[in-house]
Amino acid sequence: MLAGMALALSELPVELMVQHGLERRVCDRGGEREVQFLFADADRLLPVWRNGRLQILRWGNRRGESAHLPCTAWTQLDTVQNGGWSDRAIESVVVPATMGLDKGVWYRIRQGIRGLVALDERDRPRVYVICEPSSHYYQVMTRGGSWMPVLIDERI
Amino acid sequence: MPSSTAVGHLDADCFYVSAERVRDHFLHGKAVGVLGNQGACVIAKSYEMKHAGVKTGMPIWDALRLCPQGVYVKRDFRWYEVLSRRMLDVVRAFSPRVEYYSIDEFFFEVSAGINLREMAERMRDAMLREVGVPVTVGIARTKTLAKLVSDTAKPFGALALLDRAAEVALLERLEVTEVSGIASRRAARLEPHGIRSCLDLARADRLLVRRLLTITGEALWYELNGEAVLPFYTERPPHKMLSRGGSLGGTVGQPERLYAWLARNVERLVEELEFHMVRTGALSVYIQHKDGSDGFARRMLPAHTDRFDLLMEAARSALARAWSAERPAIRMHVAASQLRRSGFVQLGLFDAPPERVEAVAKLKREVNAEIGRFALRSGATLPLADVYRDEAQSYDICDVRGKICF
Repeated sequence: MLAGMALALSELPVELMVQHGLERRVCDRGGEREVQFLFADADRLLPVWRNGRLQILRWGNRRGESAHLPCTAWTQLDTVQNGGWSDRAIESVVVPATMGLDKGVWYRIRQGIRGLVALDERDRPRVYVICEPSSHYYQVMTRGGSWMPVLIDERI
Repeated sequence: MPSSTAVGHLDADCFYVSAERVRDHFLHGKAVGVLGNQGACVIAKSYEMKHAGVKTGMPIWDALRLCPQGVYVKRDFRWYEVLSRRMLDVVRAFSPRVEYYSIDEFFFEVSAGINLREMAERMRDAMLREVGVPVTVGIARTKTLAKLVSDTAKPFGALALLDRAAEVALLERLEVTEVSGIASRRAARLEPHGIRSCLDLARADRLLVRRLLTITGEALWYELNGEAVLPFYTERPPHKMLSRGGSLGGTVGQPERLYAWLARNVERLVEELEFHMVRTGALSVYIQHKDGSDGFARRMLPAHTDRFDLLMEAARSALARAWSAERPAIRMHVAASQLRRSGFVQLGLFDAPPERVEAVAKLKREVNAEIGRFALRSGATLPLADVYRDEAQSYDICDVRGKICF
């Protein structure tokens, strides 16, 4: 399961960096720097292309936050396609990502990840990462990771 | 080769990583590992990852411990081949005689007398400018020396080294295992005779070297002494053997899955036999088990063939002998030997009329040419649906044709 992602620093406008205090998430592993968004962060966020704008939204729902939405950060593609979210108003979104993180492996993502946005009881948007059963390669790379994010125009 | 010529060796610097960087600027300056063996191993690494201690062939889990900040990329041999052929074009613009040695290595002949160091620099710079791949170029009197020169000049080097004093200085500081063709087993044979460096080998008695390393080693002795004896191939000579196989992407213990791998490898082998217009007289299966043991079996065919059904029958029998059923397998290779051109094949006395199977084979070829490789394949491969779903698995390094070496 996706444990985090990173976006190249050049992909994030300065005003978003400042508005959400993302400077502390900037990492340098050589070459262009990146901004990391991890599931383990206290403040769990994800960048999302929504309504033609890049926004920073809360990633999923933790126990004690919203009683209206499922307590998770991911949702299965099958669940979405079989109407598992049909009782809620949801939007399909793209989570732009340069790299994904799973079981400690940082792997390259060319465009991004599919996600969906749902509103909680206070109309705050929360983003869920859409997952599908892992490819053989992904399972081997992550040593048995059974779910992988649905990538945009890419299959690894 | 006339003495008025020299040999160049052009070698891409961490080719697969460099190829990924050609289309992906984000990877520049980072520790990058290209994963093969279906995600299990690092098959190429950037210099940044190498500095962290990661070695080629290392399992990803060991690499992660050494280099947790590394970025891992899935290998894409179609893309690497595109760049490799562009590189071949660039080398050919500098030399009329080029050997396509491997996907990222080329030998070429150059006329002595021009400024060879300058030529090496121009080639290196042209490659970066026109293809985007950093390379190192070494020029010397023989192929073996040229490869040693380019290996020494890495990365992004350009060096011509033709006088004996400079050769001696180079050979003196290199271990004998640096010579292409001398690995640890051969080095162990040389060691008791005090042959440890390349210069020791060059100065050793030629007949002793021949006794220890056969004529292969003797050829290297000549080459290290500046006498070009290794053949220079501007075209790939006919194969003596064809094989397909590799990692099973984990441990495989279920017979039906292992049999599916066998069918996949035999189908790939049949493609090669058809492409090269040869038929095989013997089929071998090699299995490596997880516990390190291995098994091998060979089956002679009643008549030379490229028919899938006959080869599959022989492969099934060989697999039963090569595989210890209680031990999970991790690698498999299927090899065809005793190859003969299709036009010179004697049919077997008891061969079934081939019309039906030939019609099926033709249909398979046509459908796959139209729809995509492996679109129509043996039902025995069904347990590998996960592997076939992965587009990258349909093209491997061995599918890059025309090169001399793997």
